[in-house]
Amino acid sequence: MKKILNAPKAYVDEMLEGICAAYPESYRLVGERVLMRSEKPINGKVGVVTGGGSGHLPVFLGYVGHGLLDACAVGNVFAGPRVADCKLAIQSADSGNGVLILYGNYGGDRMNFDMALEQLESSTLKINSVCVADDVASASLVDKEKRRGVAGMVFAFKCAGAKATAGGTLDQVTTVAKKAAQACRSIGVALTPCVVPESGNASFSIADSEIEFGMGIHGEPGIWRGPLKSADALTDEMLELLLPELNFTRGDKTAVLVNSLGATPHEELFIVYRRVAKKLESLGVQVVMPLVGRYATSMEMTGLSLTLMPLDSELENLLLAPADCPFWKV
Amino acid sequence: MESIDIDQAVYLKSALLRWASAMEKAAPELNERDAQLGDGDLGVTLEKCAKNVIAALDKEASSPYEIFKNVSQACADASGSSFGTLLTSGFFATAKWLQEGKDLDRNSLSELLNHIVQKLSKRGGASLGDKTMLDSLHAISIAIENCGAQEDLSKVALQGALKAIEDFRNQPNKIGRARMFAEKTIGLDDPGMVAVLRMVESI
Repeated sequence: MKKILNAPKAYVDEMLEGICAAYPESYRLVGERVLMRSEKPINGKVGVVTGGGSGHLPVFLGYVGHGLLDACAVGNVFAGPRVADCKLAIQSADSGNGVLILYGNYGGDRMNFDMALEQLESSTLKINSVCVADDVASASLVDKEKRRGVAGMVFAFKCAGAKATAGGTLDQVTTVAKKAAQACRSIGVALTPCVVPESGNASFSIADSEIEFGMGIHGEPGIWRGPLKSADALTDEMLELLLPELNFTRGDKTAVLVNSLGATPHEELFIVYRRVAKKLESLGVQVVMPLVGRYATSMEMTGLSLTLMPLDSELENLLLAPADCPFWKV
Repeated sequence: MESIDIDQAVYLKSALLRWASAMEKAAPELNERDAQLGDGDLGVTLEKCAKNVIAALDKEASSPYEIFKNVSQACADASGSSFGTLLTSGFFATAKWLQEGKDLDRNSLSELLNHIVQKLSKRGGASLGDKTMLDSLHAISIAIENCGAQEDLSKVALQGALKAIEDFRNQPNKIGRARMFAEKTIGLDDPGMVAVLRMVESI
């Protein structure tokens, strides 16, 4: 294992200490494993909460910020947050009008938030939850509720956060979160694995000359493994999987995220974006505020993902609304 | 009645201590098995739970209900990993079972196991037949239900856990991360089912 750390067991806690030291005006820690906004919660604003394993920055905790999330329960690398932390995150985000839990579709994350929700059910706090499952490689369309939540979460965070900031009620915030979660689709390709600090092992093994198309952000197996292809060929293949589920017609608008899984440089992301933009242009689909960069990573994994989210005017306005966290500003 | 409760508590604590030390011992094996299908942290998770459980057993608790409640909380505090959460749920379901005045004896064990299977299925979304620890618990429940009144329960449970592993070896995993390896999981023993086997061996 070649990683810059002190002790594998301290990996997450030292990261949290560092991120709060770097951005005290943005983040503060509640308890050991809940990150929340430093600024006082706006009275009456619906809270938007997430949580999940570490190792994906800026997902999950990075998106705590103005116009985005209010609190995040933090788990160990690639492990769900503890129930008590999920509960604390929900309670911390409450300012009187309810809380939306917005999580990715992973066993541990779901179970722990669901348990926290059950434990809080007797209280007066109103809580809804929405699950993001946007990775088309992880299950077929018929089984789409089994799909993993990946980079599409960023769009769901953004839309729900914007709606809550605009004064939306819990039901309204929940509705747009669902709409965004159901609209977005993602697909990834991985070139090299990452090392989970506590196990010290690579998340998967792959030959130097090979890539895995459709691989998940924890090294879950994808659709095929084979020799590296050109950026254009890979992009075309990704679009071939995403577009049939999106039913674009000429004149439609879409959000686009070309995301590095960690180690892939911006240069290569732009080479891919170039091809995506051309293809969408040829279809007469207009891109709104393209995002190209590190938005949902898997530590030092090499590879990228492509996310598309068709926009109606409501989602477009929410996407373009002001937002601010140390990793992203709109 | 109180003296019976205390005896039960002492017996339970020692069984749970054996359970915890067996989990610590099995950790490397379970990590290795899990690494073939998952992220290789099953042993790490169980080790963390075991450590907390050992500490929780030191807490004052005179009734089996309190013991299981403490043990459940210990697992919840240890880990947010799926298996840790399922352990939390399983122990909590047992605590609730006792709180409702139901027994934890030979006659009710099979029923309790079925109850736990239902709770875990609801929590984690797995069904019987998906090749998970639920299939092990179900097989143990059936074995206990069908055994003679004189048979050694620990042997019966062990046979149930082994039978489940054998029955499912050549089937694919249908849920969780292992599901995505589909055909590759045929011939591999599910790490969670092996964890249940190690648990049964310890108690």
